[in-house]
This record gives sequence, C-alpha cells and structure tokens, in this order.
Amino acid sequence: MENRFGFRDLVICVLLVCMMATVWIAMLQLDDHKRALNLITTVLKEQTGDLAKIRRAVEEGGSISVAPHPASTQASSGDVAGGGWQGRDLDPFARIKLAQKMPGYAVGDNFISSFGVLPDRLTPLVSQDAYAGLIQDYVLESLAGRDPETLAWVPQLAKAWTVSADGLRFEFILRKGVVFSDGEPLTVDDVVWTFKWMMNQEVEAPRARAYYEKVASVEKAGDDRVVFTFREPYFQAFELAAGMQVLPQHFYSKYTPKQFNEAIGLLMGSGAYRLPDPKNWQHEPGKPVELVRNERYWGERAPFDRMIFRILENEAARLTTFRNGDMDSLGPTPEQYRSLLQDKELLARTQHFEFDDPAAGYTYIGWNQKRNGKPTFFADKRVRRAMTMMIDREGIAQQIMLGYANVASSPFSRLTKQSDPNIKPWPYDIAAAQKLLKEAGFEDRDGDGILDSPDGKPLRFKLVYPSSSDVYKRAVLFIKDSCARAGVAVDPAPTEWNVLIQKLQQRDFDAISLAWSGGIETDPYQIFHSSQIAGTGDNAISYSNPELDALMDKARATVDEAQRMPLWHRAHQIFHEDQPYTFLLTRTSLSFVDQRIKNITRVTTGLNPRLEWYVPTDQWKWTKPAPK
Amino acid sequence: MLNYIIRRILLMFPTLLGITLLVFMVMAYAPGGVGGPVLNEAGNMKSQEAQRLREYYNKRYGLDKPPIIQYARWINQILPIGFRKVDNNSISDFGFKWPDLGESLARHRPVTELVRESLPITVLLNAVCIPLVYAVGILSGLFAAQYRGKWFDVSSGFVFLALWSIPAIWAGVMLIGFLANRSYFNLFPTSGLHETMADQMLFLPSGWGPTFQRGWLLDTLWHLVLPLICLTYGGFAYLSKLVRGSVLDNLHADFVRTARAKGVAPRDILFRHVFRNSLLAFITVAAGIIPSLLGGSIVVESIFSIPGMGRLGVEAVQMRDRELVLAVTLVGGCIGLLCDILRDVWYALADPRVSYE
Amino acid sequence: MSSSTITPPAPAPAGSPGANAGAVDLEPSRSLLERVVRDAMRGTGARIGVAYIALLVLAAVFAPFLANSHPLLMKQAGAQGGAQTGAWSSPLLRHLTPADVVLLVMFFAVLGVALARRLSGAKRLLILAAVLAVSSPLAWWAVRPPAQVIYDKYRTGLADKSVEQAYFVPIAFSPDDRLRDQPDIRLGAPSAEHLMGTTNNGADLAANMIYASRIALSIGFIATGIAMVIGVVLGALMGYYSGWVDLLGMRLVEIFSAIPTLLLLLCFVAFFEPNLYIMMVILGVTGWTGDAVFVRAEFLRLREQDFVQAARACGIPLWSILFRHILPNGITPVLVNASFGVAGAILTESTLSFLGIGLVNDTSWGQLLNQALGSGGTFYWWIALYPGLAIFLTVFAYNLIGEALRDAFDPHAAKRGA
Repeated sequence: MENRFGFRDLVICVLLVCMMATVWIAMLQLDDHKRALNLITTVLKEQTGDLAKIRRAVEEGGSISVAPHPASTQASSGDVAGGGWQGRDLDPFARIKLAQKMPGYAVGDNFISSFGVLPDRLTPLVSQDAYAGLIQDYVLESLAGRDPETLAWVPQLAKAWTVSADGLRFEFILRKGVVFSDGEPLTVDDVVWTFKWMMNQEVEAPRARAYYEKVASVEKAGDDRVVFTFREPYFQAFELAAGMQVLPQHFYSKYTPKQFNEAIGLLMGSGAYRLPDPKNWQHEPGKPVELVRNERYWGERAPFDRMIFRILENEAARLTTFRNGDMDSLGPTPEQYRSLLQDKELLARTQHFEFDDPAAGYTYIGWNQKRNGKPTFFADKRVRRAMTMMIDREGIAQQIMLGYANVASSPFSRLTKQSDPNIKPWPYDIAAAQKLLKEAGFEDRDGDGILDSPDGKPLRFKLVYPSSSDVYKRAVLFIKDSCARAGVAVDPAPTEWNVLIQKLQQRDFDAISLAWSGGIETDPYQIFHSSQIAGTGDNAISYSNPELDALMDKARATVDEAQRMPLWHRAHQIFHEDQPYTFLLTRTSLSFVDQRIKNITRVTTGLNPRLEWYVPTDQWKWTKPAPK
Repeated sequence: MLNYIIRRILLMFPTLLGITLLVFMVMAYAPGGVGGPVLNEAGNMKSQEAQRLREYYNKRYGLDKPPIIQYARWINQILPIGFRKVDNNSISDFGFKWPDLGESLARHRPVTELVRESLPITVLLNAVCIPLVYAVGILSGLFAAQYRGKWFDVSSGFVFLALWSIPAIWAGVMLIGFLANRSYFNLFPTSGLHETMADQMLFLPSGWGPTFQRGWLLDTLWHLVLPLICLTYGGFAYLSKLVRGSVLDNLHADFVRTARAKGVAPRDILFRHVFRNSLLAFITVAAGIIPSLLGGSIVVESIFSIPGMGRLGVEAVQMRDRELVLAVTLVGGCIGLLCDILRDVWYALADPRVSYE
Repeated sequence: MSSSTITPPAPAPAGSPGANAGAVDLEPSRSLLERVVRDAMRGTGARIGVAYIALLVLAAVFAPFLANSHPLLMKQAGAQGGAQTGAWSSPLLRHLTPADVVLLVMFFAVLGVALARRLSGAKRLLILAAVLAVSSPLAWWAVRPPAQVIYDKYRTGLADKSVEQAYFVPIAFSPDDRLRDQPDIRLGAPSAEHLMGTTNNGADLAANMIYASRIALSIGFIATGIAMVIGVVLGALMGYYSGWVDLLGMRLVEIFSAIPTLLLLLCFVAFFEPNLYIMMVILGVTGWTGDAVFVRAEFLRLREQDFVQAARACGIPLWSILFRHILPNGITPVLVNASFGVAGAILTESTLSFLGIGLVNDTSWGQLLNQALGSGGTFYWWIALYPGLAIFLTVFAYNLIGEALRDAFDPHAAKRGA
C-alpha cells in the first residue's frame, strides 16, 4: 500500500503547485515594480540633466532656456521679411491661445481613449497601423501643418518657406530654439538625416519611400535653411515636403537599420507629448499605451498630463468601458451610436458629435470592363450608369449605416474644393435604369426574370466583396435585392482578403465592392489612369478614358491650386458621366466624448485637435488638482 | 522503460515534422497564399503602397519560392543546428545557432514573444478549470456508483450528457447575453481577463464598505467566472462516467467483498478502499484531458476575447499569418504528444501489469 | 468497391434500425449489430433521440412547405392579368428547386424501401441508389424555377388588390426573403407574425432555422461517412500489415490527433473558403483517426485468427480478406460510435460558422447564433436562444442514441448500469 499514490500525496501535490504558482505571481509583481522603478530612474536622470543645465546657466548669469517659449523666437523673424516667404506671419499656436483664454482653462488631468488593437510597434517609418500613426502624430512634428479649419498651411518647425516658380524647389527656414523631448536642439541636419534614413533601402519603409521617391534631394542651405528639390512638378509636392515628420538624428543614428527595423518602441520627437521612455516601449498585454506631456516642449504646453490609449479589441467591451466612465471618448459604430443615444443617463454626462471627415474615403463597386481579354457587360457606360441608378444607395445609407453615411459621386470628397459642387449623384430610379439597359440592348428574352444581352447572355454576375466584414455583407445583400427589381441578378461572392487581392491583380472578377481611403486632396491617378491597367496596377477594372488621362496628367503637374481645381472639376464630371465605379457611400464619423472635456468644436477636418481640448480644474477626474 | 520513453520521444519528431508539413502545405497551396492582410488594413487600401509591400515581403520571406523550399527554410530556421545564413539564392555557414520561430507576418513581432504572452493565460484558464472538473466529476461519479440505478445515478447521467451536448458557443453567448448585459443582469464583465484599470490596482482586495476595492486578484477571478463555466461544464460527463465505471469495477472486487464481510462501514469502504484504488485512473486521464481542454479554450477565448493561445491561433489563421500559425500548431502539437507519452508512461509506472517492453 | 459495403445510410432517417441494418449486409455482424440496435432502442433516451432526429428530417425534407414566401395557392385579379385572369396558380410549386424535389423523392423512396419487408439490405441500397441516380438528373433537367425572385410582390400584390386571394404555408417567409418592403422589421423580437423574430438581415428566423436543419443533417451524415471510410480503410491496412505500414499509419494518426482538431480545421477552412461540400470533406478528412485506431486494433486481433489464415491459404484476394472476412467482425464498434461522430461534426460546423470561418453562402445555425450579440451591446435573445437550442437538441439527440448504442454494445458496461 505504501507505494500507492494516495489521497494525501494528491493534496501535497496540489499544495506544491499552488505554492509555486504563488511564487511565480509574486515574481511577476516584483518585475512590474522593477520596471516602474526603471522608468522613474530614467525620468530622474533627464531631470537631473535639466537641473545641471539650469545651474550652469544661472552660474553663467545667462537666461534659462530649457524649454524656450515661442514668443522669444517669434520676435527674431525679421530675416524673412523679404518677398516670397510664406507663412511667416502665422502663429502655429493661435488656436490653442484662443482656447487658453476660455473660462476655466486648465492644464492637467488625463485623457483616456481606446485602440482596437495593440499597435505592432511605435517606431516611425517601419510601423504600419493607423494607431501607431496616431501616436506618432502627437510625438513627432513636421515643418508645417494644415490649419484644421481653413486647411491652409501653418508653419510648425519651419517658420517660413518659399516655392520656386517651376514648383520643383521648396526652401524652408527652421525655427530657432526647437528642442527634442530629451532637450537636444532640432537642427537642419535632423531634417536632412531623416530623409536620408527614410530612403535607405535597408530601412523597412517601403510605404514612405513610395511617396518620397519623387524627391530628388533634401539639402542644407545654411544654418537654418533646408531645400527640398523634386524630380518633376507634382501637385502634392509641398504636402510631402512640409509633412515629413522630423526624427532626431542623435537619437536614431545610434542604431543600425536592422536594429531600427526590429525595434518596437523607438519613438522620440519634438512634439507636445512624448513616450515616458522613448527607447523601451514594450508590449504588455492589458496595459495601455501612454503618452505624457513633453515638459520641454518649445510651444504651448499640452493640456493633458497624460494621453492614455487603452487596448480594447472587443467592440462591446469598448462600449461597456465608456458607459462605465472608464474612458473619455469613444468612436462608436452606427449601431452603438444609436443605442447610446437612447441612454438618458449617459447623454447627461457626455457630448456627442456627428461630422463628415473629408479624408474619410469612400466605398464603391468597381465594374470590370475587360475580363480574359474580352469586354464585359460593363464596357458599355450606359450599363454602368444603369447599375448605379438601380442601386438604392440612399437606402443603404439609411438602413445599413443607420443614416450615418452620404452618397458619394466621385473619388473626391464633396467637402473639399476638389469636387465640383454642381454635380449631384445619380438618383435611385429603376425605370430610368431599365430604359438605359434597353437602349444598350438588354431585354428579358427567355422569360426567366433576368435581362439578357443582345447575344443572349443573362445579365448575371458575381459581386466580390471581403468576407470579413458584416457591414459589407449586409450592403451587398441589399444591392442584390435592389438589382433584382430591375431584372439584374447579382450573386454575392464573399472572398477572403488574399484571394480578393489575387483576383484584383489578375483582373479576375465581374464586379468588386471595396473601399479606398481618402485625403483632403486625393490623387486619382493610380486608380483611374489607363497607364495603371498593365501589370498589377490599381486600375483593376481596365477603365480607360483618354480625356481623363490627359486631365489627370495635367492636374498633377499643376502646382498652382487655382489652376488645378477646375481641372479636377472637369475630371469629376467625367467620373459622373462614365461611372467607372459606382461610388457608394462616405461614412459619417461618430464620436462620444465625456462632458468634462471642454472646447470640442467641429472644424473642416472633423473635430478640432485634442491639443485644444481641456478640463477645468474642478472637473478633474483621473488626477487630483495640486493643493493650494 | 527508459528505452520506451526515448523511443516515444524520438518518434515525436517525425510526427511534428508531419504536423508542420501538413499545415504548411495547406497554407502554401491555398488560393491566395499567405500574408494578404499584412498589406491592407481594415478593408482600406492606399493604392501606392500595396504593390511595393508585396514585393518587399516576397523578397524578405521568400514567398515567391516553391513551397517545399519555403518549408525547408522554415525548418532550418527553427532548428538549433543548421545554416546560419540563408539568402535568396544561397545558403552557407553551417553550425549551431539559436532556434528562431520567426516573425509574425501580420504583427511584425517575434513569434516567440507572442506565444510567451499568450501561453500563460491559457495555462491559467486550464489550471483553474481542471480541479473544478475533477471535483464535480469525481464526487458525482462516486455517488452515482454508490446509488447505482437510483434516481441520482440516472438523472446525473442524463444531465451530464445534456451538459456535454451544450455547444460552448451557445453557452458563451447566453451567459454574456443574460449575465453581462445591461438589459438583463449586469453581473459579470463581457470580455478580457482584467478590468481596464487593473494595472493600477493593488494585488489584494482592500478597504471596507464604500472604500472597498477588489484588487487585481479578485478582479481576475471575477473575469474568469463566465469563461470557466463555459470551459468546465462539458468535462463533467466524461469524468463522472469514468469514475462511476472505475468505482463500480472496484466495488465488485474481492477486497471490497472481504471488507464488507468484516463489517466495515459502507462509507469507509467507498472512500478508503474503493476510491483510493480508483484514484489513479482519474489522474491518468488528466493527461488525456489537457489537449481537449486546449481545443476548448480556442472557442472560449474567442467568445470572451481572452488573449490566450487559442485566440492567437484563430487570429493567426484569420490573418493568414504563416509563421504564427505554424508556431501555434507546433506548440499545440508538442503539448498533445507530450501528454500522450506522459499518460502511457504513467500507466506503466502505476500499474505493474502494463509493460511496453 | 470496398466502400460501398460500409457507407453509412446517407439520406435515411438517422438511427432508424432498418437503415443501420441495411448498411451492412454480412451475416456475422448483422446479428450483433441488430442485437445492439434492438437493445439500445429499449431505452427512453434513445427513443427520444430517434424521434427528434426523425422530426428534424421531416422539417428538412418538407422545408419549402413549412416556410415559404410564395403562396401555396394564389388567385390573381382580373384587370391586368391578361391570360391569367382569375386563374389559380401555385407559385410555391413553381419555385421549388431541383434539390427540393430530389429530397422529396428520396424521402418517399426511403420510406417505401423501409416498409418493404422482404428485401435484403443490398437490394434496398441498390434501389435507393437507382432512385437517386434517376431522379437527380431528371430533376435538374425538368425543374427550372425562375432565376429571379422578388419576394415582396405577393405582399404588395395583396395590398394593392392585384392578387385576389393567396394561401400561404405556416411560415409565410422564405429564408432569403429579407423583407425589403418592411425595413423596420429587422432584428425584431418574436411576434405573432414572426414566431422566432427576425435576423440581422431582416429575414424570418424560423424560416432560416428550418432550412439550416438541412445543412446540419447533411453535414453530420456525410462528414461522418467520409471519416468512417478513410478510418476503416487506413485502420484495416494498418492492422493487417502491421510492421512499418502500421508505424507510418500511426504517425499519420498522431499527426491528425495531436493538433487540436479545431485548430487544424481552422487552417483548412480558413484557407479554402468552403462551400457545403468542401466543408463535409474537410470535416471527414480531419475526423477519421478514432475510427482508424478502433479498426486497427480489431484487425490486429483478428488477422491471426484461423478463418483469416484459412482465407489466405485459399488464395482469396486481399481486398476480399480485408473487407469481406475481417471487417464485418470488427465494424460494429465503429458504427456504434458513428452517432457521436455525427454529433461532433454538427458541433464543429456550428463552431466554425460561429467563429466566422464557416460556410459562406449557406445559412447554418452557428452563423445565426453569431448574430445574437450586436455591436451596440444589445443582446438579441431570440437569435441566441433558438439556433442555440436547435444545435443543442440535435447534438443531444445524437449523443443519447450514441450512449444507448454504446451501452448496448458493451455488455460489461450494460451489466453495471441500471
């Protein structure tokens, strides 16, 4: 009996396992503490450095300039008084200064929002998801930025710039006294180095390179001047040059491209916020991504102590967290938005916004005009227009997007100057669609309820769409039922992403429903220019219109906005007439924000930047105001 | 015995090779190939970028090479001995190296790291789950055997079979829907393993009355309630039936008859003699239960958004993330095979009648 | 050739004794199997299970007559109808698909064969196969429903009096009738009109449930059938040859059983966008290991027996030894376990569909269940309750039958039981 594994042994085993588990958990906790300690040490080290600087400055009797105020640099802009310099009179912080004059303005408290997934990495250039981009926008700065209201360019790191007459050469004057978040000054060398680094083939930044290969060189032209030269005139040249986020050379040049590619959280810049530890941001499941205020910021102090982004992958969990008040803002789905609107108690402590973002992009159905070398039904523009008219797009907007979407009429957002305000989307009109189809020779010849082409083929096709999305699925079913009424048979073909991309590249589909993301001024060249039909270009529908080709070529090479816009308007008319795509919808952005956050306004680009928001002292929630 | 163990462990390798080859080829020959979602996020594409990215990945991971060569590359990569330099066209520098599971295509992070993050969570789930299953299964099995044919035996058999038939997806949806929903009973959290503010919590509960804070430990337990229910109820039937059978076998054994003849109390017979003799069988079964529990956690983790191995696997498959799928299958396969060996060895150790020579 | 003897009864009602006995026409096993089935059917549990499955089969076969937007009988109004003025017509029959027709024909064929007493198992199978072979091409050739359907025309027709009278089947909605004429009905709770409420797409849930039972039944049967064929053939070869064939085969078994089944399935399914048929094959290809191990053990035991040695000495061909002499003695446990296999296949299919990687174009119970938790945090209890209940009851029924069969098969266990 003594050799048997008895009950007592079992108990001992279980106890042992429990003990080991406890020790393990305790060790984990210890590690957490160590990590926190490390962070504190880093911060302390930096502050000691600052203190040393101050001490030195005081000993030398000079002025203290750890974080120079812009006012001190603003005065010295006399050197750009000459002609041709743009942007020199504009204050990048004008809007924030207005906010500071509002009643109750205070600097403090945290702002908590959420991400749908944990960003893969925060390292600039090599990171790929949108959330990492969002973080980088707070940490990094570029030479100039757009005013959220007027969309005009406002100086940021640069204080003024000139554009050469041919639109190929852009010269920027850098602001003096700008420092990175570790206190090192930002210089022209950093700008030049950033470009070189980005174009280094060993750096995993193929996306960025796709845009910046139009730039021939970025050169230093004096202590505070940098010149961007382009290979050819390009209408978005200034956006590329001014929008390049400047990285600190002294920080990043310590790493080889390989180390840089593999780094997860190597992010430092000159922006209003910074990572607590710019070298060692790490993935910790369940932990939020945190930004802290950059106390050495050269501009106006950022309003929040911390920007916290919780990682909540589950839609329902995001909603619950916001409902419980554990989060300050939520970007709900239409369904969530509607359910939140019915919650009286919640409405009392929140504010909500519906706004149209010009960069929201659009969903579409692409009609393939050539398959296996032969023209399809959709080679005839009457058929394409008929398809557009038999699809009840307003119905999709109302029933599937619950009204939070608008019917699109072209790749250009109707909110931008690029689109021709006189063009209205084709209406939903089955009779007109049937008439058009009849003109094109389509009739129901065999009485099966489906229209047939002149050579007897039924007007029946597969509509390919990504299978991962429930919204697409419902929209496509709606389209199917919508087309059935006009005698056109649509077979929904949900397709997995990889297969879908393959089909796009091989032009192996009849019709496809997808979305393109947009911008304030978008470039339709890749999608609609006939040169992009060959190979695996993005003109997967083999659409070709010589007039549109010429228009796009001309518009892209026109740097002057006043001359360019009429060209885009003409392109818009062609899109409307030709219907290469049936442009479906642009989504309305929806947002819920806690009531205590003040000064949220709607601007052209959506909501005003979070740097302009604030929480009055008496409503601080996450931190306690310092005792007076 | 040692011989047997070594043989079994050596046999593991061809099996693991087979598992990965199978999965690898499924992915390689599937329409569309691997890595697509890497290029496009959330259904939106930026036209200028897609083509370049694809070229880049083809170059870096050799996705344009024939599958068998890709597989050889992968095997070379995960072995501790092999070619240290593998270029597009040449291999060189044979020797020892660090085994490397590669980098996740979709998340751009080392696979080892992802597995290291997720595995403890799944282990935690199962570590809490197994004792629960056992407690209920053994007790009910014992009683069912004792009152064989009585109402408890019949009804517990029926109820456990019914429980076993409840799909975990249904149980999960109903539990979330009714017990974690504002319209009904908002008692439990819907998802995750921690509250959003858990990282700022103390470890143990603190305070009293209105100042009560549940702390990290209690918070975790609170989040575990619903997933654990989903994970456990199905196991009762199997274990209870096993215990009942094993106890019944022993109840008819000679030593029990002797004990009875000696006038030992029935309660003592059940717990001291019969139960002790059956105990071993139940523990042995544990090794067999583990793989099926791992399978169960795939479903439960997906429903409750718990970032464990199961969910990692599901997401990897959905993203067609080749390296990650392979790693998850490798880990799952290893665990399954090891449990198999463990079970057989335990059998032999425990029961002198069993021998593998 | 080998497979035809052990193919499980595909379209027949599950677990009905006649169907199971008909599947294996060989004397030694027949008696054992018949005894097992007879014993099993004595229990209440198994009877309930069989009754439920029979009900499900009825629902699946007669689905078009239970839920359909097309009226069974309709009288159009005179004014604009032209030739059809005042005529009675049956849009429902007009819209029956070839599959509906074949199912109906097969149902009655099975019924007839089961009632005919004096037929041997082989003949029964032969008759059914012949009926299937004749009826399906015929149906595909002759039955041509209109390709384009607008479901709401009857409702609008009744409203504007262009249809005078219409008689509908009990549930007056087809599963893909998304009620576009009543957009507000989407995600509606159960009501007098929609007994089980409506789905995410605005379709009637009850109608969808009824049609989904076809998928559940066919997937269960055919996937298990495929798994059994593969398992029996491989198991037989492994057991008969033993040696290195066995070693290799066991590795194959290990490969398939060591990976969590669901993960393996996920790989297959996610990478090969399945339709119903591919799904069946995939479920079959991943589920054969248990059967193979069973059959292998039986063959290992039986290959040394005298009757096998004798058969071998007589020069009987290998396949005949394997499948005519040894197999009938070892197949019973596999058939007994088939019931659990069917339950497992149904469960797996619904789980995959729930996870969003299942069937793409057909509606299954798992898919419906997936719609129960809305993104707005709303819980649509009817979408959770009914499809979930359907999966549960079906799986439970098969498990009850399986449990009863197993107890009846294992006399040791039966003795210990009540």
